[in-house]
This record gives sequence, structure tokens and C-alpha cells, in this order.
Amino acid sequence: MLPDTKLHSSSAAPRSVGDHDELRRLESGLDALQTVPLTEKGRWRRFLGGVLPPVLLVVALIVAWQFYTVIAQPRPDLAPGPVNVAGSLVEQWNDGRLQQAVLTSLSRGGAGFLIAVAIGTPLGLLLAEWRLLRRALGPLLSGLQVLPSVAWVPAAIIWFGLTDATVYFVVLMGAVPSIANGLVSGIDQVPPQLRKVGTVLGASRIELATLVVLPAALPGYFSGLKQGWAFAWRSLMAAEIIVVGGSIGFGLGTMLQQSRELADLSAVLATILVILAVGILVELTAFAPLERRLLRRRGLAPGARR
Amino acid sequence: MQTFTDTPQAPTTQPLGVTPAIRIDSLGKRFGPTGPVVLDNITLTVAPGEFLCLLGASGCGKSTLLTIIAGLEHPTEGTVTVTSGSAAVMFQESALFPWLTAGRNVELALKLRGVPRSQRRAQALELLDLVNLADAAQKRPHELSGGMRQRVALARALAQDRKVLLMDEPFAALDAITRDLLHEELERVWRETGRTIIFVTHNVREAARLGQRVVLMSSRPGRIANEWRIDDTGTRRIESPEVSRLAIEITDQLREEIRRNAA
Repeated sequence: MLPDTKLHSSSAAPRSVGDHDELRRLESGLDALQTVPLTEKGRWRRFLGGVLPPVLLVVALIVAWQFYTVIAQPRPDLAPGPVNVAGSLVEQWNDGRLQQAVLTSLSRGGAGFLIAVAIGTPLGLLLAEWRLLRRALGPLLSGLQVLPSVAWVPAAIIWFGLTDATVYFVVLMGAVPSIANGLVSGIDQVPPQLRKVGTVLGASRIELATLVVLPAALPGYFSGLKQGWAFAWRSLMAAEIIVVGGSIGFGLGTMLQQSRELADLSAVLATILVILAVGILVELTAFAPLERRLLRRRGLAPGARR
Repeated sequence: MQTFTDTPQAPTTQPLGVTPAIRIDSLGKRFGPTGPVVLDNITLTVAPGEFLCLLGASGCGKSTLLTIIAGLEHPTEGTVTVTSGSAAVMFQESALFPWLTAGRNVELALKLRGVPRSQRRAQALELLDLVNLADAAQKRPHELSGGMRQRVALARALAQDRKVLLMDEPFAALDAITRDLLHEELERVWRETGRTIIFVTHNVREAARLGQRVVLMSSRPGRIANEWRIDDTGTRRIESPEVSRLAIEITDQLREEIRRNAA
């Protein structure tokens, strides 16, 4: 302590190594005051909050639909009720067509999506890092994102015939631009401060890309992937509806088209519901948990706000 | 008790025989060939282990000077020599990597420095303990308060193991209580590690509280207007009369410099 302790006698600042503990306790106290522990909702509460409302809504819609068919008695071939549609589903299930169609479409969609990721990711990286290429190809890629990929079907049939290649081509034209653009915008949104820190810490060009830029761009890339899957699935259905025969197997789109030719509206509606359900299931089981984890780790998920 | 000596317009004199940690020689900077002159004829030497505060109003180019010393920008004229090679930098925003825990943020700095994997975890914990955050190693940046984030950033900057530490208004965004504590923390770390520190700030009291030397810059173009040396008699409190006296004196001249910019 200094001799002139008059001024400092009541609340002296730490002045020696011995007082270091004092500072530590002070700091720990302030840290405790300034951090509010996150309260994570339990699994069960999350289930109740996230799953119950949409399920209840669907049940309510089906009940209303059934009431309508019972009370208004519309022609069953123009407005089938939920019971008719469920009957069609059971029928399709029993003769094995439903399982086959889902399996074919899902494996095709999955494979197409993976190929699109394999092409879109390096393309996005090139676009983000190579300015000239971006200026040249960027607008074209954005345009392709807007162009409905079904428009490629006629050309693809002429090029590849009635084969799986036609379907995959259409799926890729739908998904690749979304994935590449998602990665580009993800990289664009990396805060310049993080790059600066990486440089100051002595990262080489490659280290900067792999350890700083790519992880920082992950949320944008992920939403690109999600959109890419949506485009792949849509393009696949469109292609399957239009392209029938040849060596092309039996997918959900094919099933939809067949039901239409038979003027079986309840089978059409049943197939539409299956296509919708597959889309929702993939979102819920594959993308949503990954995205939640990704965002929560960065403090961006809605549940983790302080 | 004479705690500081006023040396108006004094040239930066160093004791003979000591190699300075940083030497800046008639440095000038303008952005683009037709842009305004941001920094003009800056000459400054910083001794090893010195704590220097660079003070000035907004737009005086103090941050630009810091980025030039850090090697992130190049001077238009003159030279900068950092004797130890390069410098560690800490910014106003902690700029922690949000996808890594506090511990991993420090470990990444160690990795980029070339520390082998087996030693990284222990060293990172040691560094976090230095800023009293060993318990927070598993926390992610968004779970930490602003002051804690800046301490992690300090630990990360120290992980670079450079002799020179450049700090660009690191505590400007913090509340007064936290800032006061971090002043003590930083001073303690400085005394323990013997780093050379250049601390950029626009807060006069902060400069008078922390620095062994306060360099005041004028604005447009940025020039060195004056400097004050403060005898190091141990920790000063920001509320103490000597800091207040010095702060008043510096503020008066700072205002004088600002008035010159009036139309």
C-alpha cells in the first residue's frame, strides 16, 4: 500500500499480487451478474410446442372436410371425402404401388440432391472467390434459379431419351443454382472483422478459407441446401409427371399421372398428400434438427436468446 | 507527489542502447491518389515493454495508424518497423468466432501459431485463467457478457505470443463498471507478461489511467500534437486526483485541436 492511504482507505484498488484474488472475486461477481443462464426447454415441452399445433390443425381440417362431404353430399368423383382418399391410400399400399413409388422417388430425389451438392458446392466456392467468374456467371446462375426447371424436360427428352438421365438432368438444373447461390451469399455475409482476425492470427489463404470463412458461411450454405432440396423434389415430381415410359421407373409423379388418366380423383388427392408428407418428413427429420443445432451453437436459434 | 511530467512538443527520446520495439519514421497515409491526407509525418518510437496510449478525436487516423502497424494496411510514405516481426491485435468488437467455444477460440490462435495439438488445450486453459475465465472455456461467445468476450479476445491475442499488442478501443463498447475492472485486468496482464502495448482510445481518462505515455493526435490530417510521460508509480485509479489533473490538461489541448477544425 502507498503511504497516502487517506484517499484509498475505504475501497482500495488491488495494488499488489496479494490483492489479485480480490480482483478475481470482483470479476467473477460481475461475470455472474452479467450472464443469465440459458434455460433450455425440455424435449417433451418442445414436442408439445412444435408438433402439437400443426397436427391439431391438420386433424381439424380433415374433420371439417368430412363434415362437408357428409352434409353437402357432393358428387364423390368430383369431391371425394377423407374416407375415400384414405381408402385409395390403403388400396395403393395393398398392391405395393405406394411403397414402390415412394422408394423410387425418394432414392432418385436423394441421389439427385447429393449430385447437386457435389456440383453446387465447388461452383459456389469458385464464384465467391473468383470475381471475374462471378461477374460473368453470377447473373446467369440467378436467372437459372428463377427459370422453372420443368422447362428443361422437352430438351432433356430429346438429348437423353426416356431414361433416368433425363430426370436427373432436370433435378440438377433445379437444385444446383440454389445450392451455389446459397454458398455465395453465405460467404458474402461473413463479417469482414472475422477475416481480419484470421489474417492477424497468421492464417494462410487456405487456412483462412477452411478455418474461418467456410464455418462462418455455414448458415447461409445450409439455407441454400434446404432450398436446393425443395427445388430438387419439385423438379423431380414435375419430370416424373411428364416423362413416362422407357426405362423410367414408377415414381410418385408417375402414380399421380396414372391416377389422372383413370380420372380417379381420390387416388390423385392421396398421391398429392403422400408427396406433401414426404417433403415434410424430410424437412423434419433431416434438415430441421441439423439447422437447429447449427444455429443454437451460434446463439442464433430463437430458443436460445438471452 | 509528482506523477507526470509535461513535455510539450518533445521529440520522442529513448535511452541510448535500447532497441525500440516499434519505430515509425515520417509516416504518411492517404487513401487513393486524390484522397485526403489521413496521416501526416508521424514519427514515433515505442520502447520494449512500454504502455503507450494513442489518443485523439474521431477521424484523427489513430485506428488507421494501428492497422498500418499491424500490417493490415500499407503506408503511403515513410516506414514502420516492428522489431519483433509482427504484432497481435485486439479490436473494439471481440470478433470471436461464434461457432467455437471460448477455449476453442484461443486454441485456434495457438494452432495458427503452430503449437502442436497435444499442448493446445492446456495452454488455452492457462491463457483463459490469466484473464480469470478458466471456468468459461466451454461456453460459446453468445453465452458470455461483453466484458467476458473482450477478455477471451485478450487471451486469444496473448495466445499469439507476440511481443507487441495493438489494441483498438477494446473497451469502448463496455459499461463503466466493466471497463474499470478490465483496466485493472489489462494492467495486471501487462505487468505480468511484459508486452509492449499500443492502446488506441478517444477516452482521455482511460488514456491517463493506463498509459506510461499518452500521445495526442490532431485531426485532418492526423499528426502528433503532443505527448505526456507519466512516471510509473504503480497502479493509478481512474478516480484519483493525479489522473483527473492529467485528464483535464489533455482534454484542454484536445479541445483546442478540435476547435481548429471549425469553419
